[in-house]
Amino acid sequence: MKKRVFSFMIVTLLLIFVTIYSATTGSIKVSSVELIHGLLTGTNDDVQVIKDLRLPRILISLFAGAALSVSGALLQAVMKNPLADPGIIGVSSGAGFMSILMVTIFPTLFFYMPLFAFLGGAFAFFLVYTFSWKSGLNPLRMILVGVAINAVFSGLSQSFNYRGSYAVTSISAATTSNLSMKTWNDVGVIVIYGSIGLIMAILVYSWCNYLALEDKTARNLGLNVNRARLIISIVAVLLASVATAIAGMFAFVGLLIPHIARLLVGTDHKVLIPFSALTGALLLLIADTLGRTIIAPNEIPASILLAVIGGPFLISLLRKSDRIYGN
Amino acid sequence: MEIKDITFSYGDKINRLHQISGEIEVGKITTIIGPNGCGKSTLLGVMSSNYLPQQGHVLLDGKKIGDYKPKELARKLAVVHQQNGAPLDMTVERLTAFGRLPHRNMFSSLSDQDEEAIEWALSCTNLQDKRHITLDSLSGGEKQRVWIAMALAQNSQFLFLDEPTTYLDIYYQYEILDLIKRLNLEHGLSIVMVLHDINQAIQYSDTIIVMKDGKLVIKGRPEEVISEQLIADIYGIEVIVKSDVRTGLYIVPIKS
Repeated sequence: MKKRVFSFMIVTLLLIFVTIYSATTGSIKVSSVELIHGLLTGTNDDVQVIKDLRLPRILISLFAGAALSVSGALLQAVMKNPLADPGIIGVSSGAGFMSILMVTIFPTLFFYMPLFAFLGGAFAFFLVYTFSWKSGLNPLRMILVGVAINAVFSGLSQSFNYRGSYAVTSISAATTSNLSMKTWNDVGVIVIYGSIGLIMAILVYSWCNYLALEDKTARNLGLNVNRARLIISIVAVLLASVATAIAGMFAFVGLLIPHIARLLVGTDHKVLIPFSALTGALLLLIADTLGRTIIAPNEIPASILLAVIGGPFLISLLRKSDRIYGN
Repeated sequence: MEIKDITFSYGDKINRLHQISGEIEVGKITTIIGPNGCGKSTLLGVMSSNYLPQQGHVLLDGKKIGDYKPKELARKLAVVHQQNGAPLDMTVERLTAFGRLPHRNMFSSLSDQDEEAIEWALSCTNLQDKRHITLDSLSGGEKQRVWIAMALAQNSQFLFLDEPTTYLDIYYQYEILDLIKRLNLEHGLSIVMVLHDINQAIQYSDTIIVMKDGKLVIKGRPEEVISEQLIADIYGIEVIVKSDVRTGLYIVPIKS
């Protein structure tokens, strides 16, 4: 219990600290006092630049991180598999592909991109789920099918890069996975859809807990197992798709964070979901802040930093995966 | 509970259950026995609505179990499965509280009635002192008792158990069986279970159902059912059926 409270406190404090640090550091440096004063009065030109360029980026990192890690936690509950992650199993790339495809065909529907992303993500998830279902979900089969689905959709998305249309590549976050050049419109979209998704995720926490039992056992307790799975999956896909449509593709956040969260606060989703949201927001913001400061004025995209950390982590998880949900 | 003309297959051509009919008496212990693959666990699965039969139906209180809503059925019938998994950091009390699912809304917190049922389930299974212990530090017998406690928290009339003594040593086997007997005698639960050990079935059951190749061979009181001829027909082994004042009826296989 103490460990839980302590973990929550540390992560919240870190989150506040990193947010302030990130807002005040970069190519333009201001003190936190100047920043707050400038934001309130609007008289400081540096702060206006920060407000237009840096703050949207910070808010989007926070929401995308929270959305992706909660999405991972939910997918892991649905698939009873600690390795499920929207990036690895192709949900994100499905979402990315669909949004780039629709925006290419109907450029005027830019505002509905999260919706298209959701359709694409749901389609990819449906494919992974059906192909890896063979009288139960085998963790490794799911990862293998997911890698294949992911490869197909990533490939399809990348084909747009070679079409020679600059407009498409710059318009779609999904192909670039870069958090720079974000506007307050983007912030609006991710805050609205992201908040809806996160609230829904917290509402379904008890179902996630029951799904940790054998399906038969949960069914005999009176849980409508299929309906619970479907609804949790929809919420997970929504969160991953919104994050992908606005912020881009970030593999491994949904894998790393719930795993660390389980070690710190346990497997009860009532605590695990909010904690994953906070920690995920923290991780993505740290990655983005590091990415734009360590080799300034150049940038390393956060997605690349995460992939470099995440790959080895996935291998170590795979090697001991049977111990996590074991009996 | 009434079983009417059940035929079931897992989608292949072989009928795992073939035209099974019978009645399960309320307030009694009914045990299903038979060789491996005879369909006894499948029958229990059909009776608990986990499998949908191709033909026939199971009636509970005059209503087909397929017509019950999941929670409504769970208030009348609880099942302890043979294989169970849960996160290892789950405490005894939290898992037992899962048994209150059919009595709760999705968002409601535990009512006094829920707390009472959980307390009762923990005391029946003698787990009050272990309520804050996590599953990973329990013995095999204790784990099995937690799953029974969860089923008891459902406050149902019927309790089904699929091979509740498998994987346990003989001490824990009898501990579980005594617990089941006590639940039946003191709290009037109607028990249906699948057992492998014929002597345990004789000792603890009011009624024995014998199955072979998906068919119901015979159903009745242990003394009526168990005979040297029956065991030879069903299991293909030679046994001597004996009776003793202290042990009652029992069987001993003889070497061929």
